[in-house]
Amino acid sequence: MPPAAPRSGDAIFASVERVNAELFTLTYGAIVRQLLTDLEEVEEVNKQLDQMGYNIGIRLIDEFLAKSNVSRCVDFKETAEVIAKVGFKMFLGVTASVTNWDADGTCCSIVLDDNPLVDFVELPDTCQGLYYCNILSGVIRGALEMVSMKTEVTWIRDMLRGDDAYELQVKLLNQVPEEYPYKDDE
Amino acid sequence: MIVCVAVVGHQNNPLYIQSFTDADDALKLHHIVHCSLDVVDERVNNPKKSGPTLNETFLGLLYPTENYKVYGYLTNTKVKFILVTTDLDVRDADVRNFFRRFHAAYVDAVSNPFHVPGKKITSRTFAERVSTIVKSFGLSSAG
Repeated sequence: MPPAAPRSGDAIFASVERVNAELFTLTYGAIVRQLLTDLEEVEEVNKQLDQMGYNIGIRLIDEFLAKSNVSRCVDFKETAEVIAKVGFKMFLGVTASVTNWDADGTCCSIVLDDNPLVDFVELPDTCQGLYYCNILSGVIRGALEMVSMKTEVTWIRDMLRGDDAYELQVKLLNQVPEEYPYKDDE
Repeated sequence: MIVCVAVVGHQNNPLYIQSFTDADDALKLHHIVHCSLDVVDERVNNPKKSGPTLNETFLGLLYPTENYKVYGYLTNTKVKFILVTTDLDVRDADVRNFFRRFHAAYVDAVSNPFHVPGKKITSRTFAERVSTIVKSFGLSSAG
C-alpha cells in the first residue's frame, strides 16, 4: 500500500474533534491566574508555563506525526515550515508564517497571525514581565526534542506587551544523533 | 449627548464610572447615578402588573431630572448599566442598541482572566470601546 500523502493543516483541522474556543481561552486564563496566585513570582510562572508546554510537546509530537503523515524533513527550514503551516493550523487553528532566517539556516522567526490563547486578556501592571503564551514555546521545544533537535524558543514580540504581532524565535542548537541503548558487540 | 455612563455591581458597588463632559461636576453625576440605583431597585422589586416581560434587561427611562435623562439596564447577574444623557429626544431603539453594545464590551472586559469580579474594571480596551460606542451614539441620534 503506498504511503499516504501528507495532509494539509486545513484538512486535518477540519477532521479532528474541536472544542469551543472561548472554553479553551478561559481555561488557559484560569491556569495562568492560578499559577500566578500559587507561585507569585512572574519568572517562576514563565518557567512553569514553559515546563508545562514541554510536557505537552513531547506527547503532542506523536499525535502530530500520526495525523499529518509528513515525510521526514530534509533540513531545519522544512521543519519550521511544517510547524508553522501544519502544526499550528492543526492544533490551534491559526496560520503562522516563517520569516527572518539567519545565514546558517538554524534560526528563524515564526509569526502568528492571531492567537486564541489571548482573547480578552489584558496584562495588569503587576505582571508586566509575564510571557502569557509561554506554553507555546515549551510545546515547540518539547516536540522538536523528541525528533532529535535541541532548540531554544523565545518570544520576540508579544501583543500583550504592546507589540503588533506574536513572534517566536526558534533557534536550533544541535541535532542529537539517535543513540541506541545497547552496544553492538554485546 | 451622553454625559456619563456607569457600571454598578450587584451589591450596588461602582465598577466603572466615566463622564464625557468637562463642564459638569463629576460629583453631581455620581450623585445622579447613585440616586438612580434606588429607582432600579424599585423597578426590580415591584414589576409592572402587565405580566412577565420577555426582555427584563432594559429598564428604560428611570427618571428625568433637571436637564438630564437617566436610562437603566439590568443584566442577569444583577449588574446595572446606567446612562445619563442630556438629549431631549432620544429614541428607545437607540438606547437599547447602545446598551446591547455596552453589554458586549462589558462581557469581553470581564472575560479577562486578570479581572477580579467585584473589583473595578481597569481595562483600557474597555474604556476605549466605551468611548467609541458613546461617540457613535451621539452621531446616530443626530442623523
